[in-house]
Amino acid sequence: MAPSLPQFSAARMRSYVFRLPLFTRSIIGVILVLWVASYQGVFDLVQWGALIPKEIGISTMYRTNTFPLIHRGVFHTFFNLIALAPLLERFEAEYGTLTSLALFVGPLSTIPALLYTFIERGILGMNTAVLGSSIWVFTLLATEACKTYKTNPSFQLGTVQVPTWITPLVMVVFVSVLVPNTSFLGHLCGLAFGYGWGLGYLKFLAPPEWALRWIEGKLNLLGRLPHYVSVDQKTYGRFGVLPTTNASNISLPTGDRMQVEMGLVGTSGSLLRRDPRLLKVPPYLSFLCIVIGVAWLLVLPLDNYSRKTYISENALLPGQVHTYFAGSDQNVFRGYKREVDGMGEWGNVEVNDKLEEFFKASGLKVARQRYEYTSAGETYSGENIYAILHAPRGDAEEAIVLVGAWTNVEGELNKSGVALVLTLARYFKRWSLWSKDIIFLITADSRAGPQAWVDAYHDTHQKGVQSLPVKSGALQGAVVIDYPFDHRFESLHVVYDGINGQLPNLDLLNTVVSIASGQMGIGASLQKMWQHTDTYKDRLTTMLRGMMNQGLGHASGPHSSFIPYHVDAITLQPYGEGWQDEMAMGRVIESTFRSLNNLLEHLHQSFFFYLLMQSSRFVSIGTYLPSAMLVAVNFTIMAIFLWVKSGSTPSPDSKVGSTSEKSGPLAIIKKEDAVAIVPEELLEARERDFFLPLGVVVGSHFLGVLPLYVFNHTPHALLPIIFYLFSALNLLLPLLISSTLTHSFAPTLQQYQLLKSFSLLFLGMFLSALATLNFSLAFLIGLLAAPLTYIQPFKSTVITALYVVLMALLAPTSVLFAGTWYWNLGVGAVLREAAFGWDVWGMNTQVVVWCVWWPGWVVGVIQLFGRPRVREKGKA
Amino acid sequence: MWGNKALVAMRLILSLLLLLSAAIPHATASSDYHEQLNLRSLHPSLLLASFNFQSNTSLTSFEQQNFRYFPRSLGQILQHANTRELHLRFSLGRWDAESWGARPWGGAREGGTGVELWAWVEAESDEEADGRWLTLTNALSGLFCASLNFIDSTRTIRPVMSFEPAGNHSSSTLDNLHLLHGTLPREVVCTENLTPFLKLLPCKGKAGISSLLDGHKLFDASWQSMSIDVKPICEPGSSDCQLQITQTIDMVLDLQRSKRPRDNPIPRPVSYEELRCDLSKDYHSHDTCFPLDAAAQEEEWILSHIFGHPLKGTCPLADDGIDPVCINVPHARHVYASEGAHEHKDESGYKRCFALSPDKDFEIILPQQEISEKSPLEQPLLYAERSFIGYGQESGGVQAILTNPSSTNAIEFVYLETLPWFMKLYLHTLKAKINGVEEDIIKEMYYRPALDRKRGTQLEIRILIPANSTVVLTYDFEKAILRYTEYPPDANRGFDIAPAVITIGDIAIRTTSLLLPLPTPDFSMPYNVIILTSTVMALSFGFIYNLLIRRFVAIDEADQWDVRAVRLKVLAVAQKFMSRFLEKRSKDGKDD
Repeated sequence: MAPSLPQFSAARMRSYVFRLPLFTRSIIGVILVLWVASYQGVFDLVQWGALIPKEIGISTMYRTNTFPLIHRGVFHTFFNLIALAPLLERFEAEYGTLTSLALFVGPLSTIPALLYTFIERGILGMNTAVLGSSIWVFTLLATEACKTYKTNPSFQLGTVQVPTWITPLVMVVFVSVLVPNTSFLGHLCGLAFGYGWGLGYLKFLAPPEWALRWIEGKLNLLGRLPHYVSVDQKTYGRFGVLPTTNASNISLPTGDRMQVEMGLVGTSGSLLRRDPRLLKVPPYLSFLCIVIGVAWLLVLPLDNYSRKTYISENALLPGQVHTYFAGSDQNVFRGYKREVDGMGEWGNVEVNDKLEEFFKASGLKVARQRYEYTSAGETYSGENIYAILHAPRGDAEEAIVLVGAWTNVEGELNKSGVALVLTLARYFKRWSLWSKDIIFLITADSRAGPQAWVDAYHDTHQKGVQSLPVKSGALQGAVVIDYPFDHRFESLHVVYDGINGQLPNLDLLNTVVSIASGQMGIGASLQKMWQHTDTYKDRLTTMLRGMMNQGLGHASGPHSSFIPYHVDAITLQPYGEGWQDEMAMGRVIESTFRSLNNLLEHLHQSFFFYLLMQSSRFVSIGTYLPSAMLVAVNFTIMAIFLWVKSGSTPSPDSKVGSTSEKSGPLAIIKKEDAVAIVPEELLEARERDFFLPLGVVVGSHFLGVLPLYVFNHTPHALLPIIFYLFSALNLLLPLLISSTLTHSFAPTLQQYQLLKSFSLLFLGMFLSALATLNFSLAFLIGLLAAPLTYIQPFKSTVITALYVVLMALLAPTSVLFAGTWYWNLGVGAVLREAAFGWDVWGMNTQVVVWCVWWPGWVVGVIQLFGRPRVREKGKA
Repeated sequence: MWGNKALVAMRLILSLLLLLSAAIPHATASSDYHEQLNLRSLHPSLLLASFNFQSNTSLTSFEQQNFRYFPRSLGQILQHANTRELHLRFSLGRWDAESWGARPWGGAREGGTGVELWAWVEAESDEEADGRWLTLTNALSGLFCASLNFIDSTRTIRPVMSFEPAGNHSSSTLDNLHLLHGTLPREVVCTENLTPFLKLLPCKGKAGISSLLDGHKLFDASWQSMSIDVKPICEPGSSDCQLQITQTIDMVLDLQRSKRPRDNPIPRPVSYEELRCDLSKDYHSHDTCFPLDAAAQEEEWILSHIFGHPLKGTCPLADDGIDPVCINVPHARHVYASEGAHEHKDESGYKRCFALSPDKDFEIILPQQEISEKSPLEQPLLYAERSFIGYGQESGGVQAILTNPSSTNAIEFVYLETLPWFMKLYLHTLKAKINGVEEDIIKEMYYRPALDRKRGTQLEIRILIPANSTVVLTYDFEKAILRYTEYPPDANRGFDIAPAVITIGDIAIRTTSLLLPLPTPDFSMPYNVIILTSTVMALSFGFIYNLLIRRFVAIDEADQWDVRAVRLKVLAVAQKFMSRFLEKRSKDGKDD
């Protein structure tokens, strides 16, 4: 008698929904209508219909009846309906439609409402408005519980026997705890009535049966109304038909497949699979997924979907300390600044000689590191210099890094930045409160230098990069100063993107933003949004720029190299013309370092996956992830659909699902005592010939290694030429493969379907996995590859031509070219950067482009040019 | 009650009498207690202060519980735990061997960061030794207010090659001696450890050099180490043995920081006038200043400024004629001492000592002075540095760089690594490179693998390092995943790995400790919320809803449970109750 868990079955669900009795249907309908109506702006339906204790009077008595029908918002409606429908259906099936109508319009809503009003207003003296059908849910639950109690007095929970009638009470408690804004009292009132009814004390409220029967008989309701449940179950049964197990009674009108399935629900999945509606839905569904995915992203900047940033890690205490970097230290800064200015033209090693002298004079340990990288036939070399300030009383367990690259990402001399690092090194040395070592790092450039240093710090450096002679403990954070000008500044630009779209902990960014804006009064901006007016447009632009940076996965500053090592890092760039001087910048750093110094644990509290739309507004992964997932799921849905479709016998597509009479041989299916007659062709199993499709898909993915290798190993001078050659070849390649396929293998339609299915399946799986790591890249690629979902060998040449143009525009090479044109960069420079990223930063965007997106595109275009072999058998 | 008090009083009087009787015959003999403070400037603005307190007690009087200079509290613990030799270290910070030269006492009187304890316990068997070790750690834990009781089996090792007994033990006891060693790298040493330490001293920090010791200054030091060593010394050939206790405190003080007044310790920027600038720079002006390196000049300092108060006379118990305060500066350096103190200059040219007058406060003043001559820094025997390599949650590596700076002497040493069990060492990855070339320089190795949750890894390697060479020792390890209850409250900080101990003869050098990040579950909010809501939803909602909605009954059984049934049931219960009540009453009536 062990209850087996019911398997979810769409067919069962559907039949259940179709069998819902009349009153339940109408209540659901009314609730839905009122919910939709509550969105109009003319009349406040909620205010009108809610049960507001203080408003209850003789003229407003209607509220006691209307309140269960009106809901607030989509979730409220939806969940209440989900809970209400089965309960109401049972009630109605038991008591009949008329009784239910009489009860639910009358006492079942009025009495709990009055009870609630009495307690809320009379005893508690409060005025909490309630609305929604949950009161009915609990009334019905209580009646059900009373019934259950009779048959199952208790259930076992561990060693405790729990009486079953208690369960609705438990539910009330859980609901009131877990769901916000629920009325505990309201639910209790509902329960009270339900228990009363269940125990039989309130049965007198039901209208007399003879009266109902009389009405029913007079109006012939049973004959007129569909889904009507009779009052008199003994004479007619619930639905006016006596239940029977005799299968021969099932009417089988020819062609009414629906009826056949009803009789065989759950016995044969193969029948459901053929349901014309199911076979038609997936393309629309997958299109809907894309639309919702994009729309989802677009609503993120709204106030309701994004959140204000906040500090999670209490130890950080940003801006809680007084900063002392001022006064005569400014003179020192100017001194260092003059020195740095004087070294502008010097070579790397001479500069480092001088810097070493400065650091040593401040009493720090100094070490240097040479590095040399080769990428795209070019050599990038230099020498980093760093100084370690030992934490007094510390034991080299932890360290934080202050970086000032000698030249910034644009190649400008970071003169104020380096001078500030030197001054701060001298200043920090005076303090005894450091609990972590502080490393002052001056890298030769902003791209290769930091990478070489961080790699060597973790001993994962490549050949050509020297090991570090002196090390400290685990790095807890890094802050980069990029301050390449002399004048005063207005605001702070915070750069936070890491390599491969990894991000630093949001707490670090929040700390800096809150120190800059809260303590120092310096504005903070992100993603080069120099002007941010906090409008939807600006938020969206910031977010999209962030996504673009994340999607490209390149280093946006010296800090980017730290992030893959789980060292949270950011770059601070002052910008604009204002009245903030370099000392203010120094104080921001000082305060940030004091906060980082407070950390007891590695930054872990806040988010690592987020999209920022302003310096103080973000969405976290839980909110934004569905958008990329939906885009990725669209491929998977289509892949599964095509798999199913490829297994079915092709029928003239226009006729699928038509109810026109067909004269095929019929087969009889028996399962236990159910019998059905179905056309034989539906049961025919069809072999899938998937060697060819799988071969093509796997082959094209392996082919992706070719461009990956070529673009990462070509000298930079040749890169543009190679690119144009490849682009031209790229447009011809699918055509070539396609015609070869048609000529040598003559693939059938099924093989084309499988080809597409495998390709989309791979795309779907990869992109949904990637979405958790690099959301933006998955989303962008998913969007650019979306047309692949609908590609197939079209019959119409016009559509084919249009699609060819579209696919040519959306080829990876074309997109790359368009991107370089839009941002005014040369193709050669972009490819050189990409090769540099591959060789030095360990960037893997290329792998996604050439080994995931490009093969998918190739397979798509192969289909476009494909000509499926016409079956010899002729029309089925 | 009264009896107890009387007993206590009796004991007090007795012990006083005993003390007197013990003191009287010794008063004439030379004292067995002496103390000395050595000051050495390491760098223009750093000062190393080494305090040394040493006393001897004859082993016989110790065994008779006749304590004089030897602290009774510690003595009884040692007797109770059958400990024949004890070494206890409290350390904080890092000795910067490159700038500061050799360690004080050659490294013999210091431990790794945190607390380190090793002792020779006399016992018949290993189990008995473990039991006594447990007694010892627990008792010392109470005595020194340190978490020494956390030195459990996972943190205890029995070094085989590394430590040698410092005292003289008779061969009969030597066979039964068990060496046990434990470290607590995470223990933060602070004032609560200093106070019991001072209480062990004969003058208890009230007089003599120990009066300078003050928690504020000691724990503000850049590096500090407190040590207690107890060992027996026997004259060769005679059975007359002495028990020696040596307590030392070494600290490296930052002069500039120490001189800041306690009520205003913030290093604010100096005023424009005080800023020392390089006037030779052509851009020098009223608002631009290139700071002048202060290293050329010797910092001025005054003893009472450095330690917060002057030295309060001498400890009257230390009267063996050893000068209590010495300072290591070149004779050319001006040193002014307060009145009543006698200066003795050492012939080496770099040391002078002072004999103090017993009751007067003592003060030393060193003025600012430009001096080319510096007292030479002693070169350390070995530079040792250890760090993690690799990254990630799964595995990692350790790299130890050991450099022999001597251009003539090869050094043989034992490298001892104590690793917690969750850091699973791969011994086959252990590689030693000498000057970048992989060579078989490991002469001997002792390895005791870890047992999960029972004991840690113990690895001892004997290496001979030729003159002027660098040995790089690397090995890989895998990180274990702990049970969630095994994480400390600050799980994301990482786990401290005890310093490696490098034993060269009778001195020991420690590397810095390491911070090992382990894969950590997300203990915070999302975890809780998801787990809680899912559980509640799955258990209560699904279960109850299902139970309520699903019924397995025949149709005709339904609807029988009505008011009458309830009424009957209530009635039945009431009747039952009543009948029982009546029965009881009738019974009671009978009894009456």
